[in-house]
Amino acid sequence: MSVEVLIKDLIKTNFAVSTDDGNQVFDIVNKNLSKKESIILDFKGISLMTTAFLNAAIGQLYSNKDFSSEFLNSNLKLQNVPEQDKALFGMVVKRAKEYFANKESFERNTNDSMYGHN
Amino acid sequence: MTNEPILSRQNRILIPPTDDNRCKQARKKEFMRKIYIPIKVTSSAKGYELLIRLYDDLKDLQDEIIHLSLYNVQWFEANLAAVLGAIIENLENKNNKVYLVDVEEFRQKTDILYRNGFLPYYGIEGENLMNSSTQIPYKKFRESDHKIYNQYIQVELLDNPDFPKHSRKLGIEIKRNIYELFENARTHGRCKNIHTCGQFYPGKKRLHITIVDTGKTIINNVLSFLKKELSSSECIEWAMETGNTTKIGNTPGGLGLGLIMEFINLNKGKIQIVSSNGFWELRESKMEKYDLNFSFPGTIANLEFNLQEDKIYSFANETPDMDNIF
Repeated sequence: MSVEVLIKDLIKTNFAVSTDDGNQVFDIVNKNLSKKESIILDFKGISLMTTAFLNAAIGQLYSNKDFSSEFLNSNLKLQNVPEQDKALFGMVVKRAKEYFANKESFERNTNDSMYGHN
Repeated sequence: MTNEPILSRQNRILIPPTDDNRCKQARKKEFMRKIYIPIKVTSSAKGYELLIRLYDDLKDLQDEIIHLSLYNVQWFEANLAAVLGAIIENLENKNNKVYLVDVEEFRQKTDILYRNGFLPYYGIEGENLMNSSTQIPYKKFRESDHKIYNQYIQVELLDNPDFPKHSRKLGIEIKRNIYELFENARTHGRCKNIHTCGQFYPGKKRLHITIVDTGKTIINNVLSFLKKELSSSECIEWAMETGNTTKIGNTPGGLGLGLIMEFINLNKGKIQIVSSNGFWELRESKMEKYDLNFSFPGTIANLEFNLQEDKIYSFANETPDMDNIF
């Protein structure tokens, strides 16, 4: 049984544009997925989305190493995403993977240079 | 840009000497200065430099009464009222009292700063103004006011019956770009207030919108992130590239400004970013950047959309499979 969240009701607007509103979505998704509970995000009624919102709502999920792509594909479903915004999701996911890969390598390099490496 | 000031002598701001012996005592009590806003303020490198020089000449004033005079002003591009608003806020934060004066002289030339709500914001009401609703009024938003900003764009732009007809797809992309820029100012500038103002031109089918924050500049953010020497305009150029971000937390970044740039390119519009003393512009696919002679304590973003360019906009070559997107 999955939890279903109507984004419009959660953020109380049909403009999914701000980082703060994206963080609200992230919090609820992160909470459910951390308990291994599937979740459906329903974008019905959302008339506009930005990468600022999606970076916070979706991109941030890649900061949790327990959430693999396979796990996310199985446990996080996106519903009623407006046709014009689908490409934006693809870009945000791609960017999040790059961002955390770079961040990890940056942090590893910083640690290596600070503490040396074996 | 050369290192020489680009301002002509007549555009220089006149600050009365405070050590004039004859009036020394009186001035000490009044602490009043009359400052002249430049003759012509347009959204060009020179226009921004004039406005930033105004800030530069005033930036050390504290606890004074400042009369900002519109007496000399022949032309003031309406959306740049957002920049003047930010300059006034900066002065007020230093306990100065700022008054806009000689407004009637300016009004005889144009009433645009009445109609776009800028002068009324400072308590100066006009009468018998031209009946026009092509302005997106000057407003100041707190950093936390993102929902109020949504309403402002909805009411002033989208619900405005005079806004030129355009395709639904173009309307969505315009809104998306405006919100991306507003969010960028909120999250990167870490400022107290964001100033915004716009104007559309039904004849030319153009929409101009300016968003100004007085928080951390792009230059501060990029230099402290990259830790290498770049000029101010090079810092802006770096920040505009897709994939480049100064964010270090768990929320990825680096898409918003790049997408705006791609869109403006397709739309044959214009984007200008001024931050500290950096000026960067993309106009009809041509990029220009300069380092100005004066520095602004924040970021000015000026967007110009072409409402005639109704081609299909696509962010990516293919639509992802939403069932396996992660």
